[in-house]
Amino acid sequence: MELFTPEFGLIFWMFVSFAVLFLVLAKWGWPAIMKMIEGRADLIDKGVEYAQNAKEQLDHAREEAEKYIEEARKQQADMLRDADRMKTQIIEEARGEAQKEAKKQMEAAQVAIEQARKEAELRFRDEVSAFALDIATKVVRKQMADEKAQSQLVNSLLDEIENKN
Amino acid sequence: MLAVVCAAVLYPVHVPASQPAGDAEGEKINPKQIIFEHLGDGYGWEVPFNHHVRIPLPVIVRDYEGKWHCFSSSRIQHGETYDGFMLGGKESKWHNKIVGMRPVTVDGKTVMEEYRPFDLSITKNVLAIFISVIIVIWLVLSVARWYAKAGYKAPRRFKGAIEAIIVFVYDGVIKPALGVKAPKFAPYLLTVFFFILVMNLLGLIVIFPGGANLTGNIAVTLVLSLITFLVVNIFGTKHYWKEVFWPDVPWWLKFPLPIMPLIEVFGMFTKPAALTVRLFANMMGGHIIVIVLTLLIFILGAFGAAAAGATTVVSVLFSIFMLLIDVLVSFIQAYVFTMLSTLFISLSQESGHKEHEPAHEAQTVKHEQ
Repeated sequence: MELFTPEFGLIFWMFVSFAVLFLVLAKWGWPAIMKMIEGRADLIDKGVEYAQNAKEQLDHAREEAEKYIEEARKQQADMLRDADRMKTQIIEEARGEAQKEAKKQMEAAQVAIEQARKEAELRFRDEVSAFALDIATKVVRKQMADEKAQSQLVNSLLDEIENKN
Repeated sequence: MLAVVCAAVLYPVHVPASQPAGDAEGEKINPKQIIFEHLGDGYGWEVPFNHHVRIPLPVIVRDYEGKWHCFSSSRIQHGETYDGFMLGGKESKWHNKIVGMRPVTVDGKTVMEEYRPFDLSITKNVLAIFISVIIVIWLVLSVARWYAKAGYKAPRRFKGAIEAIIVFVYDGVIKPALGVKAPKFAPYLLTVFFFILVMNLLGLIVIFPGGANLTGNIAVTLVLSLITFLVVNIFGTKHYWKEVFWPDVPWWLKFPLPIMPLIEVFGMFTKPAALTVRLFANMMGGHIIVIVLTLLIFILGAFGAAAAGATTVVSVLFSIFMLLIDVLVSFIQAYVFTMLSTLFISLSQESGHKEHEPAHEAQTVKHEQ
């Protein structure tokens, strides 16, 4: 019945063997294996996380790009509309300005014409008065020579002036 | 699997071959003797199909005068006396063990009396332990070497399988129970697991490298559970010792009669005892069933050829079935031993602050990530 009564020799060798086994494995076996298994698990976790992040980022980037394109399109449309509006506005403004300018010019021209007319009138009056003076002088001179002829001339001249006016 | 089939085929052949050669025809079979011869230790290692030839192993003994003797087991194998030592006979107190003669004085007369010398022989079981140690070291170091060589590449085939078992035990048993302290105790627990597993499986193979009933020997399981006992109590926390000697129970259970402390101290010793007996009994039981099934052939064979034939078929089938179950049991028992050791160690590692437990666990999770 030695199965139930432990032999000292066997206990001794078992203990020694286990101690050797444990020391060898605890030094060169388990720590290395544990470290590598944990390390690899970490690596795999990181890889998965990285892939997920990358996918997320990719999705995000696509969305972003679409958003940008949409925005750009909107901006383009806005700009086109603005430009159109500005064009019409500028044209409007230019037209208004031109009209105003034309009106001003016209007014200025009218004023100038009026002035020129007045000046001309004035000058004409001067000339007429000078002319009249001239005539008067000539009449006076003729009167000195022939009173009758002179008065006739004066009369005829005056008639002429009267007719002219 | 091959080993199991091989074992199943060889067992029936092996058992009759190993019956004492002196058994005359018709002599009654002594099942008890055969069973214990097979489950027991021995000097020399049987080879299949031949009872006379045994692989010789060194015998190392110290006699009553304190002198060491070392010789080959082949010198005493067939009942010879060598250097004053022989194998104990059937009537001896130490059957099949090395015994010597020493003079003792009884009633003033000096007579020679049989005694058991201090025996450190490399017996069959001791050699089987050495073989198991070498196999385990080779197994584990081959995986460790793979990592040194291949870095983070995943090991495949055999190394992958070993790693899967390592992870199974480490992540499935050790980490959940011990948390942050897992790396501290993992080397011991993993060593225990693989050692027991290899010893169990080797025990199922009947020819040379296996066949020794190691884990079905109480000395082996006793050492293993003693080591667990030492680990539990040496690394036990203050809280653990407080729980042993001053548990949280009504004071009258502790004083004046220390009932609870007594029970707790008793429990300290029943745990390793349970470990010892569980592994020992399970493995020995498996071996005994297979041997008994085989012996049935010879016991019932006495009733005639038809009975012998029928029993042979049934017994061999049942033996195969039992050995297949034993493969499973080998793994389960190694697992259970490791799990219970882990549990006992984790119980002795409690810090005693229950409210700190969630934080502690959170820390563990963080550590894992």
